[in-house]
Amino acid sequence: MTAKPKVAITWLGACGGCDEAIVDLNEALLDVAAAIEIVFWPVALDFKYDNVRAFKDSEIALSIITGCVRNSEHAEVAELLRRKSGIVLAFGACACFGGTSGLANFISKKEIFDYVYKDAPTVVNPNGVFPQTVTELDGKTLTLPEFYEHVYALNQVIPVDYYLPGCPPPPDLIATAVKAVLTGDLPPRGSTLAPRRALCDTCPRNKKKPLRLEITKINRIHQIESDPDFCFLEQGILCMGSATRGGCGETCVRNNIPCRGCFGPVPGVEDAGGRYLSAIASILKTPETEDLRDLTATVMDPAGTFYRFGQAVSILGREKLAKP
Amino acid sequence: MARQITINPITRLEGHGKIEIFLDDQGGVEDAYWQVVELRGFEKFCLGRPAEEMPRIVPNICGVCPSAHHMASVKALDDLYSAPPTRTARLIRELEYNAFYIEDHYIHFFFLAAPDFVMGPEAQPAHRNILGVIGKLGTEIGAKVIDIRKRNRDIIRLVFGKAPHPEGGLPGGVPRGITEEERETIIKTADDSVAFAMFALELFKDLVLKNEKYVDLIKSPSFSLATSYMSLVGPDNQMALYDGKVRVVDSDGKQTALFAPTDYVDHIGEWVEPWTYIKLTHLRNPGWHGFTEGPGSAIYRVGPLARLNVADRIATPLAEKERQEFFTVLGKKPVHATLANHWARLITALSAAEQNQRISREPDLTSKDIRNMKLSLKKVGVGCVEAPRGTLFHHYETDDQGLLTRVNLIVATQHNAAPICMSVKKAAQGFIKAKKPREGLLNVVEMAFRAYDPCLACATHHLPGGMPLTLVLRDRQGELVEVIRRPEEQ
Amino acid sequence: MENYSPKVVCFSCRFGWGYLHEDPNLSRLPGMVSVTCSGKIETRHVLSAFKRGADGVLILACPEGHCHFQDGNFKTEAKIFMLRKVLSGFGIEGDRLRMVMAVDPAGGLMSQQVEELKKDLSALGPAAAPAEAAVAQA
Ligand code: SF4
Ligand code: SF4
Ligand code: SF4
Ligand code: FES
Repeated sequence: MTAKPKVAITWLGACGGCDEAIVDLNEALLDVAAAIEIVFWPVALDFKYDNVRAFKDSEIALSIITGCVRNSEHAEVAELLRRKSGIVLAFGACACFGGTSGLANFISKKEIFDYVYKDAPTVVNPNGVFPQTVTELDGKTLTLPEFYEHVYALNQVIPVDYYLPGCPPPPDLIATAVKAVLTGDLPPRGSTLAPRRALCDTCPRNKKKPLRLEITKINRIHQIESDPDFCFLEQGILCMGSATRGGCGETCVRNNIPCRGCFGPVPGVEDAGGRYLSAIASILKTPETEDLRDLTATVMDPAGTFYRFGQAVSILGREKLAKP
Repeated sequence: MARQITINPITRLEGHGKIEIFLDDQGGVEDAYWQVVELRGFEKFCLGRPAEEMPRIVPNICGVCPSAHHMASVKALDDLYSAPPTRTARLIRELEYNAFYIEDHYIHFFFLAAPDFVMGPEAQPAHRNILGVIGKLGTEIGAKVIDIRKRNRDIIRLVFGKAPHPEGGLPGGVPRGITEEERETIIKTADDSVAFAMFALELFKDLVLKNEKYVDLIKSPSFSLATSYMSLVGPDNQMALYDGKVRVVDSDGKQTALFAPTDYVDHIGEWVEPWTYIKLTHLRNPGWHGFTEGPGSAIYRVGPLARLNVADRIATPLAEKERQEFFTVLGKKPVHATLANHWARLITALSAAEQNQRISREPDLTSKDIRNMKLSLKKVGVGCVEAPRGTLFHHYETDDQGLLTRVNLIVATQHNAAPICMSVKKAAQGFIKAKKPREGLLNVVEMAFRAYDPCLACATHHLPGGMPLTLVLRDRQGELVEVIRRPEEQ
Repeated sequence: MENYSPKVVCFSCRFGWGYLHEDPNLSRLPGMVSVTCSGKIETRHVLSAFKRGADGVLILACPEGHCHFQDGNFKTEAKIFMLRKVLSGFGIEGDRLRMVMAVDPAGGLMSQQVEELKKDLSALGPAAAPAEAAVAQA
């Protein structure tokens, strides 16, 4: 009987939530696990870099990679797995778009280091020490991976075959994605394994949304008690459902919290943040331009809100990792 | 010539960690370093963001303890806007937080700790995992653990949307209430969690306390560290998870500090070492002077054992009885045995379950009064909770529009960073007899490390339970001498 | 900054700002883009202009109430206000993006507006390329 397809799962600059989402498959995982041979899952199985190196190129049927690329070790692991895998699946918002860590691209590595190791109120650092990639301690050498200047999404480091968005991706989408890869009935390479239509289309609040929506005031989530039956936008609360891909089950919206787009944009959008910005701009209504300036000023943090998950793949933020 | 042993990578802290052990010429352990190789920069890139967005940004710091970051962040907003939550909002928050404690502690105990105790530390590492535990105790226990975990995570999802990454906590409230129908399932889950907690404690006593070998292992000097302890306590010094004051007792058990979380900066310092990205927290008084133990040391520990060492009692009856038995068996407070964390974890989980039994039956739980809308921005807010792995601080400062101008986070695992280095070194020193370290060194280092359940252990992920440890021996020049690794499963 | 000549991309709406393509010396200048209505300018057009090295972007639209497509200019103005904050997040000063709402059917004002922006930009110096912009901020 043909050998079970080999599957590798690993995390790079990730929080571990995606791995939890895989473990959360619970029962579903057991039958998926039966159909495959997990050959590499550092958080769960023994970590064997050399075993992966021992595989022939593309011998691993599927590599599921979570997390962004933030240091040299992440890049090495990503490149190794790409070489050894037939299909690479970018799993979760960090791998697909850089995720929340991508917000670090709005500032420099130096600013992070200066604050964390010098300026934070609790820091006690009399001799101004900073972490080094190589430290000599009376004859002993200690190394740390190099911390990149920039946060990269996975496809800026290695070619990626499929994308599974979400922070983390919901169990049902994971199971369907893995099964699709194993059975081989897959859309063309480069596709996202999630619905194509926008979150608004399946949102329970969409029914009562007026056709020509106009808002004259922006409310922040703590400033009002939002009504669970009406669209957030109608209540002046920024919600990014109109340009966000559906498939998450409207988890936040059903919990009475607006969407921040962790599923990424609907197909064909080059800059998700720009699309969200335009969607909000198009529904603002004020009598004169003067009030428009004040109204838009109440959108407190357009950069941090509209680029919450996608800074690393935005037009101005994206960058390819230059091979050293 | 000193030989360098690199364990890389050991487990994952928001990413990766590794241990370097240096042997002297007689083969003894000269030094050991636990290095955290991951840094995210949340404290810096959140500047300029509206403070109310933080509860849904910070859980991304760690997928293992997202509820802890979410809750500390929400409480920082309560303080920032001087808006204590309504009674119902507080009940809902505590319900979710206890549910998080239960599922977090049990997945750690059964997937990580139990294999050592059920299969025995000398057992073949290949069998020393959850599959081995299920093999020995029957598949029913595996199903029970998964069921209890799933039902408590359902409470988290019901109240805060997602697990991992709960969200929606608001200053002075919660986004969604609980209905009477939903209360029924919550009561059932809470009651079953208490029953499961008692079962887990019985199992621990049968397997461990009745076995001389394990009790000696727990009490052995190589697995103990005389440090101070820190944890949250309630008004009369009872164990507290959601809210309270921060109490510190020294290595003799004498209280040396009791302060409101807002004053944490006066008591806690972060020391910087060049060989790790994590900062080493310590007590500003007496101040950092290296990796030292005993009286006068600035090093303290947090987590389950610390909670029992610091609290005078536990406010729930069953857990209080267990707490008393804990100190009769292991000797007077404070107990310095690191491996006792496993037992303490089960006692905390029992207390969390008993709390939820009470909360799930509170009439106010299902009231609609879930938001305190009297908000007044005072531009500084500190939120503190007892996270499963230790005391967690979120400190926010904003401009007059509520946009963040400063963020300082003291993450639970940081408190144990220095102690972990010391424990690993001590455990390695204690067990290395022969010049050539055997596979035994791997197990010993793993046990010392795992007891702290640093979030990088990602305890909840350990499906087959094997700790991914590969020991690479290098000689003085860094040439590869030998690789000791868990024998292949196949 | 003597020898620095700022690169400007100018989007002009056909109704308010004359028929650009009928003016040979203007329409052949690089970076002059004619659109039917300022409402047609998408955020990604502005972002791409900066990504490709523009030091400034000028949008010439009809005055309030005169947009041939009702509120095309109004919506673009809302985008511009927010986009300036986003640009500064990426390390590009918001002032590098300018919108002028006036009527100039004859097209004479256009080159004057472009020159004015160039003059202001030379004080600011080149826009740091987005990736390095983050470092330049430090
Ligand atoms: S996508 Fe979300 S859950 Fe997954 S690693 Fe990134 S932050 Fe964690
Ligand atoms: S904007 Fe948000 S609340 Fe409104 S319909 Fe779309 S997803 Fe639902
Ligand atoms: S509602 Fe939006 S932010 Fe929330 S899970 Fe769905 S896509 Fe992600
Ligand atoms: S037609 Fe000129 S701005 Fe719309």
